[in-house]
Amino acid sequence: MENLVEMKGITKLFPGVKALSNINLDLRPGEVHLLLGENGAGKSTLMKILSGVYTPTEGIIKVGEKEYTSLTPHLSQENKIAIIYQELSVINELTIAENLFIGKLPVKKAAGIFRVVDRKEMAARAKELLAMVGFHRDPLTSVSELSISEKQQVEIAKALASDARVLVMDEPTSSLSGEETEQLFTIIRKLKAKGVGIFYISHKMSEMKEIGDRVTVLKDGMQVATLDMKDVKDEKQIISLMVGRELSQQSLRRPKEEGAAPKKVALKVENVTRVDEKVKNVSFELHHGEILGFAGLVGSGRTELMNTIFGAERMKTGKVWLDGKEIHVHSPYEAVKKGMAFITESRRETGFFDNFNICKNIAAVYNIKRTSCKGLSGLIHPKKEREIAAKQKEDLSIRCTGIDQMVASLSGGNQQKVIVGKWLASKANLMIFDEPTRGIDIGAKSEIYHIMRGLADEGKGIIMVSSELPELITLCDRIVVFNKGEIAAIFDGEEATEEAIMAVAAS
Amino acid sequence: MNHNLQKRLSLYWDKFGTLVILILLVCFMAIFGPPQFIAPGNLLQIAIQSSITIIIACGEFFAILIAGIDLSVGSVMGLVGMVTAKLIVLDIMPWYVAVLLGILSGALCGLFNGLLINVTGLHPFVITLGTQSIFRGVTLIISDATSVYGFPQTFKDAMGGWLGGVIPSAVVIALLLAAILWFFSSKTVMGRNIFALGGNKEAAWFSGIHTKLYTLLVHTLCGVCFGLAGIVYTARIGSAEPLAGQGYETFAIASAIIGGTSFFGGRGKIPTVVVGGLIIGTISNGLNMLGVSSYYQQIVTGALIIVAVTVDRLFKGKSAK
Repeated sequence: MENLVEMKGITKLFPGVKALSNINLDLRPGEVHLLLGENGAGKSTLMKILSGVYTPTEGIIKVGEKEYTSLTPHLSQENKIAIIYQELSVINELTIAENLFIGKLPVKKAAGIFRVVDRKEMAARAKELLAMVGFHRDPLTSVSELSISEKQQVEIAKALASDARVLVMDEPTSSLSGEETEQLFTIIRKLKAKGVGIFYISHKMSEMKEIGDRVTVLKDGMQVATLDMKDVKDEKQIISLMVGRELSQQSLRRPKEEGAAPKKVALKVENVTRVDEKVKNVSFELHHGEILGFAGLVGSGRTELMNTIFGAERMKTGKVWLDGKEIHVHSPYEAVKKGMAFITESRRETGFFDNFNICKNIAAVYNIKRTSCKGLSGLIHPKKEREIAAKQKEDLSIRCTGIDQMVASLSGGNQQKVIVGKWLASKANLMIFDEPTRGIDIGAKSEIYHIMRGLADEGKGIIMVSSELPELITLCDRIVVFNKGEIAAIFDGEEATEEAIMAVAAS
Repeated sequence: MNHNLQKRLSLYWDKFGTLVILILLVCFMAIFGPPQFIAPGNLLQIAIQSSITIIIACGEFFAILIAGIDLSVGSVMGLVGMVTAKLIVLDIMPWYVAVLLGILSGALCGLFNGLLINVTGLHPFVITLGTQSIFRGVTLIISDATSVYGFPQTFKDAMGGWLGGVIPSAVVIALLLAAILWFFSSKTVMGRNIFALGGNKEAAWFSGIHTKLYTLLVHTLCGVCFGLAGIVYTARIGSAEPLAGQGYETFAIASAIIGGTSFFGGRGKIPTVVVGGLIIGTISNGLNMLGVSSYYQQIVTGALIIVAVTVDRLFKGKSAK
């Protein structure tokens, strides 16, 4: 069968960087072609060339019969190529139907002169499109009322409205629940049956076998391999292609020493209940040198508990002891002063300062902790600051051009390391990691795990909240399972399995 | 534009852009303007005229730095000028005590702004738009809408005249304030924390910065600066006018953003804001010299704000968010 798209010998140079080097990629009708690679491997650049955002330095793009040396967004659309980006581009203020036909609304003549939007026609056509993706809501609903996965379905329907033959999906499942992901896969299968070709970018290995037909692995702008799915043995094979080495999946847990004296308790939490009851009656203990995992469904109250322990939210009842002393923390400032650290779940929103370079980011908490009066007193010591930042850069092997680089221009994994460095520079002794590996690539994930285990070995108490069960199981000494704001079970790391945890978390 | 070139240009622009504009402006006037423009006497005059703008711009800088704004500039100037003048003419305390009490009243105005912002959670734009009217109303009430004058010569000399007959005191006050605030913003932990708050409020909160306390202090600082400007203004013209300072928020905001302060918060520095104030002063002086009426000057100032922000964004290659 004729290929829908062929990209031949694509090379893209950015100043000082070869982003892509001689890539050959094609897409057959009715197939899902996976694009895999670490962050910065060139997947998004390649897709931006296909959508006409970037102009390739060399190479030819063949769409159907026509050959191009470069595309524009307009040409790309004309050739029925549609992209669904990670950040959805639906307009919240409009209805579903208006979103579907934006730019080409069906019109009719009113009073024989004025061209007005034909609402009936629009609603009817919208209904048809929505039915195609199996989405049954009134097309006149405002998009702002939809969930993220529903908005994504609207985006897909919008692509269908433009009669797309080629669809690019950039990490479509990164913010979807398990059930929503299944729904998306059903839609993808329907599209395949209609002969639509799909480029699918993802970090999730588990999705590979389920929907992929072929897979292309990129690394540092080079095409490592393009394989038929049936030739792929297992995930490990792909991972080693992506990373260029075999990643050990072995456990990072520390074996229990028989007869050893139990480690001291770093944090004791008793009967904590929040004012809004999102956390109810929670009690647990965390020992020095231990990594305590928190599993549970999204919204089960884990982040809310951590916010409360850190003083960002009020508790109604409950007591907290740090190293045997009862503490009352009413704000993050007090938590910082007591040697606690909180690596929050969203780096960009609550983690780093995008107006600061690496050095200033790392020094931020250090400065507040060493001065008194809520950080109102004290002078900056530029030399000391740079020493501290340089040390964290070395210790955490932050990959950057120097500590003067802006954090926003780093990859996700390195941004995360800067945030960890910010807390380590403050000499925190109790560290809470909330989804520390979300949205970062496999190599960096493994580095973060080793950093966390290293910190535990130094004697720090570590809490890890994560929605990825495999990482909790490989890393944590004990796992607390949350369900509707309460602790449903506590597993020993050795006996924890994904099935056992899910059974408790979802019951 | 070539990516690399754009990056390098943006770096230079960050450092020297505002200064380049000022130099070009002066060169332009020296060549095309009347010969008196470049005379030392006139250049000093520009510095004096710019002092008040620089003082209020330094305060406004901090309000914009935390991604907010303070529109009560002119009204605080008027109120503090009036309070100080009333205290001086009472003749029961030395003039400098009256000045200190005047500045304290400015600080209270700022504190009031900060409290309202924290308690209501509304954008500072709305709050300070409201207090702008409130403070002006208070000024009109306490002054009964009449001017107050008859100050001792020492007050006029020290706050808005000439020190020893040769040094313009307004310029000294402006430069001293700018120097202190430059040190504060770049060398103290509190200054750094204000930048952090402006860059990412949520991250600042989780890093242990008391965001509300800082908002309060920043607006109090604004009040101090605006009040000081009001006193200098009063001393210069030798009379406290109930409507003094009207429209000065435009100068304050224009100087701050022409001086490279980002409206999104977290970016900017005091020295370029001072240059921004000088640019505003030079334009107004130059247009006077060219015989352009003050009506047209308003148009030019307005256009310049828009051009400055556009050019800024062009060089930084940032899209509007």
